[in-house]
Amino acid sequence: MATAILYHGEPNGPSLSVLAALAESGLDIECRSINLLKGERYTLPGAEQTLASDMAVEGEGPVLLKDGETMSEAVFLAQYFDDAAGSCGLQPKDAYAHWEMMMWCRQTTERLAPAVAYIGNLATSQSVVGAMDEAEFSAIAKSVFSDDLRERWQDLRDNRVDAAKLEDSKTKVAQFVERVEEKLADGREWLMGDFSIADLETFAWLRPMAALEAAAFKGKLRAAAWMERLEQRPCIKAALAHATVDDPSHAFAPGPEINRWG
Amino acid sequence: MADVTLYHWEPNANSGKPMLALMEKGVPFQSHYINMLEFDQHKPEYLAINPQGTIPAMTHGARVLTESTAIMEYVDEEFSGPELMPADAQDRWRIRWWMKFMDQWLGPSFSMIGWSTFVGPMVRQKPKEELEALIERIPLPERRRAWRKAMFGQFGEEELAESKRRVGFGIDRLEEELGKREYVGSDHYSLADINIFNSTYSLPLSHPHFASKERTPNIMRWLKTVYLRPAVQETWKMGKTDLAHRYSLIMEDI
Ligand SMILES: N[C@@H](CCC(=O)N[C@@H](CS)C(=O)NCC(=O)O)C(=O)O
Repeated sequence: MATAILYHGEPNGPSLSVLAALAESGLDIECRSINLLKGERYTLPGAEQTLASDMAVEGEGPVLLKDGETMSEAVFLAQYFDDAAGSCGLQPKDAYAHWEMMMWCRQTTERLAPAVAYIGNLATSQSVVGAMDEAEFSAIAKSVFSDDLRERWQDLRDNRVDAAKLEDSKTKVAQFVERVEEKLADGREWLMGDFSIADLETFAWLRPMAALEAAAFKGKLRAAAWMERLEQRPCIKAALAHATVDDPSHAFAPGPEINRWG
Repeated sequence: MADVTLYHWEPNANSGKPMLALMEKGVPFQSHYINMLEFDQHKPEYLAINPQGTIPAMTHGARVLTESTAIMEYVDEEFSGPELMPADAQDRWRIRWWMKFMDQWLGPSFSMIGWSTFVGPMVRQKPKEELEALIERIPLPERRRAWRKAMFGQFGEEELAESKRRVGFGIDRLEEELGKREYVGSDHYSLADINIFNSTYSLPLSHPHFASKERTPNIMRWLKTVYLRPAVQETWKMGKTDLAHRYSLIMEDI
């Protein structure tokens, strides 16, 4: 593992879940903090094969640099840690429970993550990107490899807000909190019964919404207790300790696109 | 006793994934054909299985499974037979990465083009009131919008152009990948090959300017290798339209 380095942003969204998964796995991998909002993911020393980070569906997320290859996508990095550690309890062993975890994570990355990224970027990062001087922004834009991700950067800079997308995003966040609440209805502690990547991934995206979309959490007592359990879990505390700002839940960079198909 | 039932359409895209995975593992299953062009997937009988109204879905005893890529991982783990995931952790990560790239970035572009040029015109024959009633039954709001566009030919020029850009770009990346490794993401035949084969075997016919012997020799080599697998031959026999037959002619020609 000595050759691997995890480059991560502030512990929020995908960087939070990956840092927590790493802590949970106990693997000894060096972590380096980078500023995703300055495009630092595109200038990693020693990165030779960069397709996976250049074209990550999740947008600006953490990168594990291993043998010159930039590995991306939070859920799969967490699975990678679990596999590499020889099963550290991040994934259910039973095939059906494992299926459910992957199905849940897929829907988290497809529905919840883009919604949170849309709301979060507008609320916290628009002013920063909008205020960059032209030279700084165009240098970042030039380094962004994916055309459609670059367009999301540009939209953010120009404060181009699609009211329908914003509304839809708020609905999706509320629906997901509802879904978590229902899942916990039988009194279980964790989403899949046993603790898993599904808890980390869902929590990592919902955490910044607690303040920004407070209404979605109103009366959702089981979801709130589950969030608190995660907040207290050592792997989350370890991940949050990597923060370089006071409130990492305000740290966003352009994320996954909102489903353009269906 | 396997006790598996698969609800699927033609052996392609999402339906093709669990069909082929089950065949590769040698798991016997009951086939329940859902005619997508007759909108069987939105009928109450099927919504009772998958309330999202999308195909495929699989039942194994009392278990109901959806999401085609996750179903494949289940099939691989639950049943004996040849391993469809390699042991190396980084290979496994790469395979999952490619499947997501297909499922959530490239695949939707294939779908948009396919629905606008093929699916839309096929269903457009029906009277407008009937089409409206069909749209009413669709559970997912985003799918309702997609079907409306397909039925009435309302895809925008800009979104179609973006889909074409992605298809061209995605094919070039796949060509590079298959120049580095024998199969997608590793040197072993895996779920990534099943996933991506099901969405790309039509390329030499549907996008000959992007995928051809001259332009993408690695993809063609790989398509042919996968096509020749006995499990693919068996799976393609389950098609009810002439889709698979048409493509087999192309494959023979590679
Ligand atoms: N994410 C799902 C998507 C399933 C899906 O969208 N299937 C398509 C067929 S390839 C479908 O059901 N289309 C018909 C419809 O939406 O009405 C999966 O991978 O299983």
